[in-house]
Amino acid sequence: MTNAVYHDTVLFADRVSRVFQMPAGPVVAVRDLTLTITQGEHAAIRGPSGCGKSTLLHMLGCVDTPTSGRLLFDGHDVTTLGDRARSLLRLRQIGFVFQRFFLLPMLTAAENVELPQAEAGVPKAERARRTFELLDYVGLAPRAGHRPSQLSGGEMQRVAIARALANRPRLLLADEPTGELDQTTGEQVAALLDRVNADGTALVIVTHDPALAGRARRILTMRDGRIEHEATQ
Amino acid sequence: MNVLGFAWRSLVRQPARSTLGILGVAAVGALLFDMLLLSQGLLLSMRGLLDRMGFDVRVVSSDQFPGPGPDLDDAQTLAAQIAGLPSVRSVVTIRSESADLQRAGGESVRVTFLGVGGSTVRPWTVVSGRDIAADRELVLNAYAAEELDAAPGDAVLVKAFCFPEDTAPPQQTFRIAGIAEFLFDAPDTLGAATTADDLALACAQEAGKADFVAVVSAGDPEAAAAAISAQHPDLRAMTNEQAVGQLQQRGFTYFRQISTVLSTVTVSFALLLITVLLTVSVNQRLGEVAALRAIGFSQRRVVLDVLCESVLIVGIGGGLSLPLGWLLAQWLDGILKRMPNIPVQLHFFVFEPNALAVHALLLGATAILAAVYPMRIVARLPIAATLRNETVS
Ligand SMILES: Nc1ncnc2c1ncn2[C@@H]1O[C@H](COP(=O)(O)OP(=O)(O)OP(=O)(O)O)[C@@H](O)[C@H]1O
Ligand SMILES: [Mg+2]
Repeated sequence: MTNAVYHDTVLFADRVSRVFQMPAGPVVAVRDLTLTITQGEHAAIRGPSGCGKSTLLHMLGCVDTPTSGRLLFDGHDVTTLGDRARSLLRLRQIGFVFQRFFLLPMLTAAENVELPQAEAGVPKAERARRTFELLDYVGLAPRAGHRPSQLSGGEMQRVAIARALANRPRLLLADEPTGELDQTTGEQVAALLDRVNADGTALVIVTHDPALAGRARRILTMRDGRIEHEATQ
Repeated sequence: MNVLGFAWRSLVRQPARSTLGILGVAAVGALLFDMLLLSQGLLLSMRGLLDRMGFDVRVVSSDQFPGPGPDLDDAQTLAAQIAGLPSVRSVVTIRSESADLQRAGGESVRVTFLGVGGSTVRPWTVVSGRDIAADRELVLNAYAAEELDAAPGDAVLVKAFCFPEDTAPPQQTFRIAGIAEFLFDAPDTLGAATTADDLALACAQEAGKADFVAVVSAGDPEAAAAAISAQHPDLRAMTNEQAVGQLQQRGFTYFRQISTVLSTVTVSFALLLITVLLTVSVNQRLGEVAALRAIGFSQRRVVLDVLCESVLIVGIGGGLSLPLGWLLAQWLDGILKRMPNIPVQLHFFVFEPNALAVHALLLGATAILAAVYPMRIVARLPIAATLRNETVS
């Protein structure tokens, strides 16, 4: 790997595996997989159910640790980091978007977006400004004071994207971000994700939806814990 | 939004459950507060009564306190000797017997009959009429005056029953000088008092017997007690503090034990209640917690959230428990004081700042301990597996 590529690399998974020890025997969810995610990249991961997509995404997002192999974020091995350092890395460098949004129901849209900023110690005034900017970016500034229960699924996912972007992460990970949405709403969310990527954030999306996967420049197809096929368009 | 604000929102989100927890803690806290007031109340109240009587040292023949019958035989001489000590200001001898009082043509009424000798310091306050000033005068408490239908100036026939009961004294006529409030007075105790000499007269005994000698020190009760003990090694001189200490050793430890046992039970109840509420609530939002961890909340932060919820529930409930406990204490005190022969000024539930501190400490510990199990759940939550379960299910 050249120095230039090295500097351009956000994430480098080096022969990572994830084995779950189950009573009935070990389950190998991800098998000896090597993957590089570069700055500003737009990748989609697809494949049959149970092939290890979510497990891989969780390892890339540092919420799960490979049972073997290394994971380098910005050139630093993160597999050996303690909980505090990993939390901080997720907080500042990685954004997560979930299929089920996981917005906090007792907080307003604005408060949900503010939350990771507060956790990162962003001053109050700066937080308010950034929150408005983000809600405006996802087209929901007028709904800032609304609770998730007062929003539609698509709107909730847009708030969740704003929350994921709150601390200007370098990498945004999304697991079935349109899984709970109808086609039209899903397309709106997909378009928003495209824009996030176009504005410079590396994006890795796990999806069953061919339309959503088709928007990515790089499409990885997994089978049995491995990348079976890779296409760039 | 800070951690407390966040925890508050989590509580408000489940108002019924949070209210249940807060009310539970309020009830338990009120009971706990009352136990604490009760564990010390009687002693503090006793001590207050002794202090208010105006005497700070009492002299008895043995270390029995209170003992039966008049134990001091030549109390007059004894009082004079003690009064001569430089550390002593004044001395009173006190003897308590009972007597039947009767107005001409009226019913007879059984009263506690005190005989007080020595200085002019009296263990009562005159509320109407005047104090005893001449021979064969007595003061009555209001309840006795009412039962007798008597007023200051009236004459009463006195038939005394004295220890030892080997004499059958004849009836004597006394005049009521005034109505007085006795310090050790129970609302339903009929009381009368006269001088030591006139009580002896009513008993048809020689003057000089007393139950104990009450001493007002010149300012240092310890020094006075020590001087009296040195002068009379056969007697026991006790400061009020020692007297209360002896009460505590002899009869009142069981109040403490009962209150300790009941406090432990109530606190354990609060602990279980909060643990169950928090555990259920945490288990219901595991997905959210995992998502918060995924977006960068540290283990410490999510644990702190649970702790703050516990502290808020216990804090608010604990705050409510104080006025509640206070009202309950007044009510219970009223019930207990309906027992016979309880002096008016004696209380079972007495406030002292220390009780508040112990209350806060115990509830604080409850808040922390109750949160231990749910905190463990969120601390050990596997993020990836939880996210997966929450999505698959
Ligand atoms: N926490 C776990 N414990 C045990 N086995 C697990 C765990 N997580 C994943 N697996 C197993 O690992 C394999 C891959 O799971 P994973 O969730 O990554 O699949 P996926 O590709 O995301 O599937 P889907 O498309 O249905 O979401 C599966 O066989 C699954 O049963
Ligand atoms: Mg999956």
